[in-house]
Amino acid sequence: MSEFAALRADDAELAGLRSAVRGFLAADRETFGWTPAVDCWLSSWDTAFSTRLAEAGFIGLTIPGEYGGRAPADGTGYLHRYVVTEELLAHGAPVGAHWIADRQVAPGLLAYGTEEQRRRLLPRIAAGQLYSAIGMSEHGAGSDLAAVQSRATRTDDGWLLNGTKVWTSGAHLAHQIVVLARTSPLDPEHRHAGFSQFVVPTDLPGITISPIVLMNGEHHFNEVQFDDVRLTDGDVLGEIGAGWHQVTSELGFERSGPERILSTATMLFEVVEALGRGDVDDRTAAAVGDLVGRMIALRQMSVSVARALTGRGERSDGGWLGGDANTRAAMVKDLGTRFEQDSVELAADLIDGVDGPEGARLRAMLTVARVHSPLFTLRGGTNEVLRGIVARGARAT
Amino acid sequence: MNDELKALVDDIGRRSFDARVGRHGLPERFDSDLWQVLETSGLTRLTTEQGADPADAAIVLGGLAQYAAAVPVAETDVLATWLAGQADLSVPADGPLTVAIADVDPGGDRVTGTARDVPWPDAGPVVLAARSADATFVAVLAPGSSTSTHNLAGEPRGDVPFDLSSTDVVRLSPGVADELVRRGAWARCVQIVGTFDAAARLTAAHIGERVQFGRPLATFQAVQHSMANLLGEVETSRAATNLATFAAIDHGFDSPEADYAVTAAKVAVGRAVAPVTTIAHQLHGAIGVTLEHQLWLATMRARSWADEFGSTGWHATRLGRMALAADDPWHVIVGPVVGPAPRN
Repeated sequence: MSEFAALRADDAELAGLRSAVRGFLAADRETFGWTPAVDCWLSSWDTAFSTRLAEAGFIGLTIPGEYGGRAPADGTGYLHRYVVTEELLAHGAPVGAHWIADRQVAPGLLAYGTEEQRRRLLPRIAAGQLYSAIGMSEHGAGSDLAAVQSRATRTDDGWLLNGTKVWTSGAHLAHQIVVLARTSPLDPEHRHAGFSQFVVPTDLPGITISPIVLMNGEHHFNEVQFDDVRLTDGDVLGEIGAGWHQVTSELGFERSGPERILSTATMLFEVVEALGRGDVDDRTAAAVGDLVGRMIALRQMSVSVARALTGRGERSDGGWLGGDANTRAAMVKDLGTRFEQDSVELAADLIDGVDGPEGARLRAMLTVARVHSPLFTLRGGTNEVLRGIVARGARAT
Repeated sequence: MNDELKALVDDIGRRSFDARVGRHGLPERFDSDLWQVLETSGLTRLTTEQGADPADAAIVLGGLAQYAAAVPVAETDVLATWLAGQADLSVPADGPLTVAIADVDPGGDRVTGTARDVPWPDAGPVVLAARSADATFVAVLAPGSSTSTHNLAGEPRGDVPFDLSSTDVVRLSPGVADELVRRGAWARCVQIVGTFDAAARLTAAHIGERVQFGRPLATFQAVQHSMANLLGEVETSRAATNLATFAAIDHGFDSPEADYAVTAAKVAVGRAVAPVTTIAHQLHGAIGVTLEHQLWLATMRARSWADEFGSTGWHATRLGRMALAADDPWHVIVGPVVGPAPRN
């Protein structure tokens, strides 16, 4: 197999998959008329689209067949998902409803869930019909996640959950929230000990979900309050006390994916395509080339982490970060999200050169991108925290 | 990765660097001792005579660049020997060579012009590529230049005038000159990543040792963040360059794939030079800008090399035109590379 193609996640199998997703998206958009959006993985919630996407075979690519998914037997499911994700983002598809469940909850269940949980939840995720939120941050626990104070206490027949989560994307529309809570009191010597994860159905008594409205009026985030919410042992995800390890071991997948580079991509490609239909001076062409060059380089880093996570080695070393996928993922997210931010104003300059209805559509996307842009470097771990991880993880070559 | 080759180059580079401590200057002198060692080890004509692939060549070029080696190995192997071979011209089988590129407007029976900023013009025979709209004229010239200057890193550069009878040149297709520029751009990317590694290594060591306010600089969060930024630029450059190397291995330097990947790498690497240089010098403090310190050996090589074989802006314009010409620019980033390598 060509190493060049493999490095670009463009070998024959992945290229075929890519073209199949493109075909699906073109036909689906033609039929159902959704509008491509920037930051679609946060903001475009379309449950019917999620179901159609699953029916076409593009959700659950990391879930084995026995749980209703479509993971290939050779363990390349993450690369398949990578390629599908790229196409969805590049085309601004409305992927928000199933996003967190497919990206994060399914791998968590496969790694730590009980057989009963897997059989109950994974088929619905693979069908694009289970919507999940993640309850991590709290008022007093942002970058410092170990300051989480939500707690679950043991009862005769289960657990009693109390606490408040914030920035919980999509909780108001989700079936469940995966909550990180203390199950043992804080030990100042071992701050990361004593956490556990729970899969909490949103329709349980004692849960209050209130909107936290974005500065342009959009509602994606929520405050979620848990008042004596009764959970069963069947709601525990993984081991009691192992919550911190479980949460941090998922970060490699969450942090290095295409959504850390491509949140603005649909706007970028549309403006380049529009400009390409007319005469372009060298200065503008160079600006486009700088944008494309940076995206290609970042994508190479991101794909290399995805390949490392699926056990596909490279004929090169990991440079200053060695082979540690989590450190490399932190670097990808830091660089990729800053690129996303920079790309907004670079796109703005290019959009100046586009008139007519296309220009109007691009300016509407630009407006949304400008509001969402500060979020790019906050969500999933602030870039300040990530740069600390990179600096500590670096080793001399 | 060929660990044995990497260790060999590292060992040779380190020894030559240690032997030259305090002797680097403006201009740099050709390091004949190092050349002898490299030639004896078979590393001076690795791709043209040893059948090595570009991944091995990258180890040699990047490794030597880390140690500011004053030898034109890239010019000799990847460029001059290859170009002479294309024209069936004989060049010495040992000793350094270099390459000169010039634009000409051939009139009558003479090919006349001046190649500017030829690297190491006095080190050995100069293989000339004179390009016109529809041809590449190749000839082997005697060493020497009409001007003698050096780049910011002290490496000799000079102008080489030529006035040749059309019977003294070999006429090849214009694509030969394009490939020569592409090979040069690739070699400079690999070499610049080598200098980035040197700058990162020096900076990491310095912030670990240097104490201010009673503690090492590396314990300050602001310094850690700058270091993370520097490493990010280095690894992004390495990733883009790695793709270019495998484009050349799998498809050859004359392929659209190599054209695409080398162009993208030259943009990514070229744009990383300013931040890497700025951060490395900032974290070193004023000592890093002195002639006695070794940091400039890395940063000024990177700075100079980025302008060669097409400036960053020139490559960015080409890459931008590839995206603008595509039906869907997204396909340029992820899809198979299509079409012939465009003419420059």
